[in-house]
Amino acid sequence: MQPRSNTGDGKPPKKYYSARKKYCAFCKDKITLIDYKNHKNLENFISETGRIFPGRVSGTCAYHQKQLSKAIKRARQMALLRFTEEKKRIT
Amino acid sequence: MTSRYEIGFIITPEVNEEEVKKIIESITATIKKANGVIENLDEWGRKKMAFPIKKNLEGYYVFIQAEVDGTIIATIERRLKQMEKVLRFITLRLDDKLKKSNKLTKKWAKIDKLRKKTMASSSEEKESEDFLENEEETDATEK
Repeated sequence: MQPRSNTGDGKPPKKYYSARKKYCAFCKDKITLIDYKNHKNLENFISETGRIFPGRVSGTCAYHQKQLSKAIKRARQMALLRFTEEKKRIT
Repeated sequence: MTSRYEIGFIITPEVNEEEVKKIIESITATIKKANGVIENLDEWGRKKMAFPIKKNLEGYYVFIQAEVDGTIIATIERRLKQMEKVLRFITLRLDDKLKKSNKLTKKWAKIDKLRKKTMASSSEEKESEDFLENEEETDATEK
């Protein structure tokens, strides 16, 4: 693939850096079954507003992402994780 | 057919210790009646919840893992629903994905073995070579 910036204006072509490769955090620790009870670990995979990060953002593999989304939903049911961001009171 | 189940529930924070014991015993008794085996009983105790349920900010968490017949779970669920002091409950089957997880563990063990073999063989070769050359090679690949 040729660099796009090399359009003949005399400047050297832009260097393209590949992003750091993402990896599945559960495959690294060799966790096969995700438990909904350790909510502190699950909190790394939800945003500030409480949304579940997609697999392409967090880097988790498809096998674990399926389990992860289910575990987060179960944790929400048991009030271990938030559904949305906490209500801010106007003082 | 017996299989492993997990039952978790939250009790209101106003409850005494005796009442908590009563609720737990009523569930464990039903499991034992049906020739079930209680593997683990986790009492987290009073804990702050992520959001209020019925205006309660805290809850008393209890988790039970047991090996029981599937039909008993339905009766336990019905009983938990009737209890006014139980805010939420959840029941799960734990051995649903055991097959696939066992496959994965086997696969990872194989990969680890191969990696160790290659590491052992490569380290023997590297000892004879100069270390400086190796460093230069790694730098070139990074760039």
